[in-house]
Amino acid sequence: MSSGDGASQSSSKKSKKPTYSRFTQQELPAFKPILTPGLIMAAFVFLGITFIPIGLSHLSASDNVVQLVDRYDEDCIPTYNSNPEEAHNKRIQYIRDASTNKTCVRTLIVPKKMRHPIFVYYQLDDFYQNHRRYVKSRNDEQYRNPSAERKTANCEPEAVNDDHEPIVPCGLIAWSLFNDTYSLLRNDVPLPINKKDIAWQSDKTHKFGSNVYPKNFQSRSLIGGATLNESIPLNQQDDLLVWMRTAALPSFRKLYGRIETDLEANEVIKVVIQNNYNTYTFNGKKKFVISTTTWIGGKNDFLGKVYITVGGASLFIAIAFISVYLVMPRPLGDPSYLSWNKNPPSN
Amino acid sequence: MNCDVVICCRVSPKQKASITRMVKEHSGKTILAIGDGANDVGMIQEADIGVGISGMEGMQAVMASDFSLPQFRFLERLLIVHGHWCYRRISKMILYFVYKNVTLGLTLFYYNIFTGFSGQDLYDDWYMTMFNVLLTSLPVLSVGVLEQDVSSDVCLKFPALYQQGQRNICFGWKRIIGWILNGILTSLTIFLLNIYALSPSAITKHGYTADMEHIGTITYTSIIWTVNCQVALMISHFTFISHILIWGSIICWYIFLYTYDILPPTYPKIVFHVFTEQIGPEPAYWIVTLIVVIVSLLPYFIHIVIQRSFFPMDDHIIQEMKYSGTDVSDGPMWLREQERSKQMTQVGYSARVDAKIRHLQEQMHRKRKSFYSS
Repeated sequence: MSSGDGASQSSSKKSKKPTYSRFTQQELPAFKPILTPGLIMAAFVFLGITFIPIGLSHLSASDNVVQLVDRYDEDCIPTYNSNPEEAHNKRIQYIRDASTNKTCVRTLIVPKKMRHPIFVYYQLDDFYQNHRRYVKSRNDEQYRNPSAERKTANCEPEAVNDDHEPIVPCGLIAWSLFNDTYSLLRNDVPLPINKKDIAWQSDKTHKFGSNVYPKNFQSRSLIGGATLNESIPLNQQDDLLVWMRTAALPSFRKLYGRIETDLEANEVIKVVIQNNYNTYTFNGKKKFVISTTTWIGGKNDFLGKVYITVGGASLFIAIAFISVYLVMPRPLGDPSYLSWNKNPPSN
Repeated sequence: MNCDVVICCRVSPKQKASITRMVKEHSGKTILAIGDGANDVGMIQEADIGVGISGMEGMQAVMASDFSLPQFRFLERLLIVHGHWCYRRISKMILYFVYKNVTLGLTLFYYNIFTGFSGQDLYDDWYMTMFNVLLTSLPVLSVGVLEQDVSSDVCLKFPALYQQGQRNICFGWKRIIGWILNGILTSLTIFLLNIYALSPSAITKHGYTADMEHIGTITYTSIIWTVNCQVALMISHFTFISHILIWGSIICWYIFLYTYDILPPTYPKIVFHVFTEQIGPEPAYWIVTLIVVIVSLLPYFIHIVIQRSFFPMDDHIIQEMKYSGTDVSDGPMWLREQERSKQMTQVGYSARVDAKIRHLQEQMHRKRKSFYSS
C-alpha cells in the first residue's frame, strides 16, 4: 500500500524544466562562414573573370548598333537674327501660326550597313513627362470602357469642353500628343515606315478599349498637339498608345515606326519632317533617331563599361590584397591579435 | 562610491531602492539588481535591469522583474551569453533598418531631381507598401532572433567578449554614421546605374524604350536584391531559417510582381504586365540587376575584408580558432587565452591585488629559472 502510494507520488510530481528543442535553446545547426584569405581571393578573382567577358560582349553588341541622331528643331526654323531672344520669339510665333509651311527636309548619310528592322524614334529633351501633375492627368477607366465616358476625374483642365461634354481621351498626357511626322526618301525613292505594332501588346488588348472612340478631342481653345481620327478606336491609335506611356526622364525617345529594308553604307536618306510640335516655348529639343538593335537593345556603352571596370577593379583588388597579405601575413586564429594580448591589462 | 564592494545588512525595501537610485545617479552606469523576495521589489524596479529569482520566497520578485531566473547561478549565463548576444543582435538590427530605409528613400529623392521636384514617385505605390511589410522585414528578424557571433560555451569561457557591450563597440557613433553612409552610397549607386543603363536608347531587341514603370520596377528589383544580400553579408551564423527568410524574401518579390501585374488593369494601372510581358523576358533586366547588386555591395565587402584581415576583433579571432580547430589541436593555448580573458574582467580590490601578486610571482619564477639554467 505504502509502496504503491510512493510510486504514484513520484509519477505525479512533474518536472518544471521546459522541453528541450534546438530552436528554443538556440542550438540550431548553422553554417558559420569565415572570410579566409583564400575565400577573399577566390571571390574577387571570380568576379573579375566573369564580369570582364560579360562587359566585353555587352560593349561589342553596343558597338554593332548603328545609330543616327539628328537634332532638327532649331535648324528647321532658321532665324538669321543674331539675337537669341529675338530668335526664340520668332520661332514661337512661327510654330503657333497655322498658316506657315512646317515642312523641313533633313539629309542624313548612313555610316555603316544597317540591317532591318531599323527603328525610327523621336527624341525629346527637357520635356518633363515625369512631372507628377502631368502623370496624374489621365483616366484609364475612360480609355478602356465606352460607358465610362463621363469619368474624367484627375483630367483637369482637359476633362470637359466648353459645352461640358466629356473629352475622350481626357487628360494632359493625351492632349499633348506629339504631332511631328516623318517620311523618308532613299535616293529620292520613298522609303515606307511601318507604323504597326509600335505599342506594347497589353496596351492594345487590355488597357485601351477597342470600342472607345475619340470625342471632342482638342476641342478647347488651346491645342496641345495632334488631333485624332474619330473613326479609329483608341486601341488602334498606336501613336497615342506610345505617347501615353510616360517616360521616366526629361530626355526620352519614343518609337515612331520601323523600316523593314536594309540600308547600305553611304546611302543618302532625306527626312521630310512636318515640324508641328511646339517645344520652343520651353526650350525643349527635338531629335530624329534611327537605330538598329541587338540582343541588349539600342546603343548604350554604359553598362559594358561598368562591367569591365568592376571586373578590372576586382582583379586589381585581388592582386593588391594578396601582395599586402604576403607582406604582413596574419595566420588564422593567431592569439596575439586578441585585445587582451595586444593591450595587456595594466592595473 | 569609491568602493568596489559594499555590504549592507538589515535594510528595509525602501532603503534598498534608495541605495540603488543613489548608485545609478552618481555613477551614471547601467545598474542591475537581483533579488528573490518581496522586499527586493523596490530595488528591482528602481534598477535599469531587474532580475527576479523565483523560488522559496514566492513570485513577487519575479512579477516585478524584467528577467526571471530559477537559480542565482544562472545570472552568469544571462549576462555573458544572452546579454552579449542580445547586444550584438539589437545593434545589427537597428543599423540595418536605418540602412535599408535610407537606401529606398534616397532613391526617391534623387529621382525628383529629374522630375522638376514635383513629387512624382519612381515606384508604384504597392511596391513601396510591400517594402517594409513583406519584402525586407523577415531577414532582419532572423538577425535579431538567431544571430550568434560565438556559441554559448565559448561566451562563458571568454568573458572578455562581454566587454564589447560595455565599451559600446557595436553601436557607437562611428558605426551608426558608417551604416548611414553605406545607405547613401548604395542608393546613389543603384539609382545612377539604373538611370544610365536603361535610357534613352531601347532596352529590348524589338526596339521598345524603357518608360517610368520599367525603370521603376528594375530599380526597385535592384534595391530588394541589394538589401537582402546585405543581410546575408552581415550574418555570421546561418541557420536554415535565415536562408529561408532571406532568399524567400527575394522570391516573394518576384511572386508579388508576377501576381500584381496579371491582375486586371484596374488595380496595377500602369505596371500592368510589366514583368510578364515587358521586362521579364529581356536580358537587360537581369544583367542590370546583377551589376547593380554587386557594385552596391562592394564597398561594404571591401570594408569587412580589410577589417577581418588586418584589424580583426576578438570575436573574429575566436571564430577563426574554432573554424581552424586550433582550440582542439592547441589545447594549452586555448586554456591560456581563457585565463587571460578572465583576468581582464576582474573587479574588486583584493582580486586585483591577487592578480598582480600572481603576475609578479610568474615573473620571478621565470627569472629564477633563467638564473639557474645559465
